Amino acid sequence: MHELSMADAIVKTVLDVAEKNQAEEILEVTIEVGKLTMLNPEQLRFLLDVLKENTLLEGAEIIIEEIPVEIKCLSCGYAGSTNLNDSDHYLMIVKCPECDERNLEIVTGQECNVKNIRIEKPE
Amino acid sequence: MHKIADVEIQHDIMVANKKLAQRNQRILDKANVFSVDVLGAIGSGKTSLIELLIKKSDEKIGVIAGDVISKFDAGRFQQYDIPVVGLNTGKECHLDAHLVEHAIEDMPLDEIDTLYIENVGNLICPVDFDLGSHMRMVVISVSEGDDTVEKHPLIFKDADLIVINKIDIADAVGADAEKMVKDAKYLNPDVKIIKSSLKTEEGLNEIIKAIKDFRDSIN
Repeated sequence: MHELSMADAIVKTVLDVAEKNQAEEILEVTIEVGKLTMLNPEQLRFLLDVLKENTLLEGAEIIIEEIPVEIKCLSCGYAGSTNLNDSDHYLMIVKCPECDERNLEIVTGQECNVKNIRIEKPE
Repeated sequence: MHKIADVEIQHDIMVANKKLAQRNQRILDKANVFSVDVLGAIGSGKTSLIELLIKKSDEKIGVIAGDVISKFDAGRFQQYDIPVVGLNTGKECHLDAHLVEHAIEDMPLDEIDTLYIENVGNLICPVDFDLGSHMRMVVISVSEGDDTVEKHPLIFKDADLIVINKIDIADAVGADAEKMVKDAKYLNPDVKIIKSSLKTEEGLNEIIKAIKDFRDSIN
């Protein structure tokens, strides 16, 4: 379960930026989590809720945006989303939906990105 | 008076790890050290395989022994009089590039030519964390069940070498080693897959050769 280390890194990143921007309160945090990461968004949210206690983040709303998988096929040149078919967990990661080849580059879907925050600060 | 402000951050924790991993690899490259991330299930034979590589291969080996409590595995390696750095992850289920960076600082790189980094026994979490190694070797055994490969596609998809160990007891545990090979090939068509019994050293020479071939292929 590495959601804890991720949540910890997210909280540190956010607090650091908030401090540099003289935030008195953080209202909102938006995080992007790729569908191919081994991160469970619900577990991540739970741990963020625990870690934000007694910090500037305490009252912040945590928004987790799931980022879909996009690939670039190195065989046929197809670029775009894959056919996500949960009934076959292999398909979504190994095959190009156009040519069926497996020689591909994953463009999105692997991120755990602290996208932005909304803060309250003095005028 | 207060105002509300939106602050763009765009700090990707995965990318941050990747950058550290790239730095680790540059440090290893500079010292001319080839490194292998040894991943696999708990009890699959990762430590035993590294012990055999220390004994049988002609490389000058150093080991970073990562575990929740690393002293047990580190102790096993220390008896061979080679450089060993134990790396306790505590609560964590995986090594990351930052932990490895510190372990590399403690490793006498000028005394070794190959560095094995034994990851925490886990087929899930380490996938997300590149360490900066040149090669990823995944060790599993038949006793975890012959559906292990298909249940953990991501770790096998990116492996550079897959070792399926304990094939001598496949019948006893009711596992079909060929199914595991087939599943691995489906996920990673070009990867080298070796069936082994480290207890009898079956497959060991093949593993040594595969590591050497991989090293030659990237040089």
